[in-house]
Amino acid sequence: MTDATSTHTTPPLKRALIYLLSHRAAGLFLFIVLLLGIVSVMNPAFLETQNIKDIAVQAAPVCIISCGLMLVLVSGEIDISVGSMMGLLAACMGAMVSESRGHLPPGMAIVLTLGIGVVIGLLNGWLVAYAGVPSIIVTLGMLTALRGVTEIVMGGSWITDLPDGIRFLGTGAFMGIPISLWTALTVILVSLWLVHRTAIGRRIYAIGSNPHAAYLAGLPIKPLKLFVFAWTGFLTGVATLVSVPQLSVVDSGIGVGLELLVVTCVVVGGTAVSGGLGNLSGVLCGVILMTMISTVLIFMKLGENATYWSRAIQGLFILGAIIADHWISRQRKS
Amino acid sequence: MKQRILNMIWQPETFLIVLIGILLTAMGRLDASFLQWEVQRALSSHVWELAIIAIPMTLIILTAGIDLSVGSVMGLSAITTGMLFQKGLPLPLACSASLLVGIFCGFLNGWFITRMKVHPLIITLATMAAYRGMAEGISHAKPVSGFPDSFTWLGQGDWFGLPVAAWVFAVMVGIVLWMMHGRAFGVGIYAIGHNETATRFSGLRVDRYLVTLYTFSGFASALAAVLFVARRNTAKADAGMGMELGVITAVVIGGVSIFGGRGTLIGACLGVLLIHETREFVSWHWNRDELNLLALGILLILSVVFQKLLRHKQGSAI
Repeated sequence: MTDATSTHTTPPLKRALIYLLSHRAAGLFLFIVLLLGIVSVMNPAFLETQNIKDIAVQAAPVCIISCGLMLVLVSGEIDISVGSMMGLLAACMGAMVSESRGHLPPGMAIVLTLGIGVVIGLLNGWLVAYAGVPSIIVTLGMLTALRGVTEIVMGGSWITDLPDGIRFLGTGAFMGIPISLWTALTVILVSLWLVHRTAIGRRIYAIGSNPHAAYLAGLPIKPLKLFVFAWTGFLTGVATLVSVPQLSVVDSGIGVGLELLVVTCVVVGGTAVSGGLGNLSGVLCGVILMTMISTVLIFMKLGENATYWSRAIQGLFILGAIIADHWISRQRKS
Repeated sequence: MKQRILNMIWQPETFLIVLIGILLTAMGRLDASFLQWEVQRALSSHVWELAIIAIPMTLIILTAGIDLSVGSVMGLSAITTGMLFQKGLPLPLACSASLLVGIFCGFLNGWFITRMKVHPLIITLATMAAYRGMAEGISHAKPVSGFPDSFTWLGQGDWFGLPVAAWVFAVMVGIVLWMMHGRAFGVGIYAIGHNETATRFSGLRVDRYLVTLYTFSGFASALAAVLFVARRNTAKADAGMGMELGVITAVVIGGVSIFGGRGTLIGACLGVLLIHETREFVSWHWNRDELNLLALGILLILSVVFQKLLRHKQGSAI
């Protein structure tokens, strides 16, 4: 009864805002369209195919990792080690395939890179689920430790001689669309299937929204947490394989700050940091928005100094998402 | 009596003192020059900023919170000092402004945490990005240097045989220990860490405590930033990069439970000492900084694993 009256008295504008903020994908989509409109009026060059393609290629690895990180957040944990993990995987991959170092066949290097990603993910997951260390501590430690390992692997130098077999993953295209985009599409489809059509996906939501109830219902909480971290490790490996070969040089600084970008995308996309809530369409919109922003700043002719603000914008977007969530939950209560 | 002695031995502080003793002996064997007083005093200048920030971090972790933004607050405060000095403001004013910025940053953290009811780690992760980004945006990542000698004395000079920062640290530890020991303030912090809801129901103004602690953390970070700028004679947006990891590791190694409610400030200070000596020795003896990154990360994780194991053992004994 009170619900009915309160919806009647809420002004339509406010109701629309509540709808857009709580259906994050719709709200973000509208925001992206608005932003596109503004920037293309100010500078029509933004809508050129090449530019759109560049943004999409930039977004692909972020999107791939975000699909994994979303599940980590949904399960009620966090992983801020993905940037360093990517740095280490890039260094390992480079060292394995480079003609002057490992000189392994590309196929084997690909399998090994993914394998290392899974192993690091498993280690994260084991420490969180079985050793009982909070995920922020585990992944904060990993964020630094893996960077140290990367420096040791690289040995103070960098790798420039990647063979064509690996280069193809980064620069090649199939039906005119870069490999990385196909990969991102595959990862999205697999994630959709995982989240909506499998018991594992539904259980991850269950342990995130009410861990105690999930425990009482007999759900395998520890293996599930192990799985989400390993899956994120695997996807970080995939993202490394399709993005790092685009670069001409593999150095020890790859992936610095990536963890923050991915967390921003996932949180802005409507995933609750307390677990149990989040959907892929929102995360996808979050990824598009956050990767678009730096290019938008350049095309709005705010000068090159605008790029220095990109980190501040990321932080403000996370804060904005938190405020929006808080505001909605208060509106729902009243 | 036997029980009391056993209890004392089982304290993390006792462990740490023994561990530091063993480590220092081993370091002395490997490289006797490392333990000379002059060397130690010179190397100690690297640690005071971390030690100063470790004080509020200990209190925050005791309440089961965390502050990831300390390094970024340092960056923003350092840049504030630098930019205002460049604009021609007298240095005392520039420093006060940067302290105010730090206090405001910390207050904002506390305000968000208590209002939004979101875990501190996500709020401070966001402000970690925001504050660092602002520092980079304001300064365009360019450094400011050329501070007068009267200012760099704060970071490089000695006062009664010790660096100025050491005295700042000593005063702060003294005040906080006095506040914590047997006073309502200290009891309140432990109570929040043990059971926040119960503390709230028992009428303690939990939110006020938390806002105060995060504000204190911002203030300490800004103070560390001023000392850092004075020591390096440069104000740059990347001041205090990665500071949060060192501070949290030191506090956790010092026996402060990451789940709140357990641990002491003395323990945290011993943790700072342990981290500092290990770090400096690796740089001094092997000259490999990447080993330090690796060691610090692993130490952080292991110390929490160890804490859990120890807690388990104690729990089962009682």
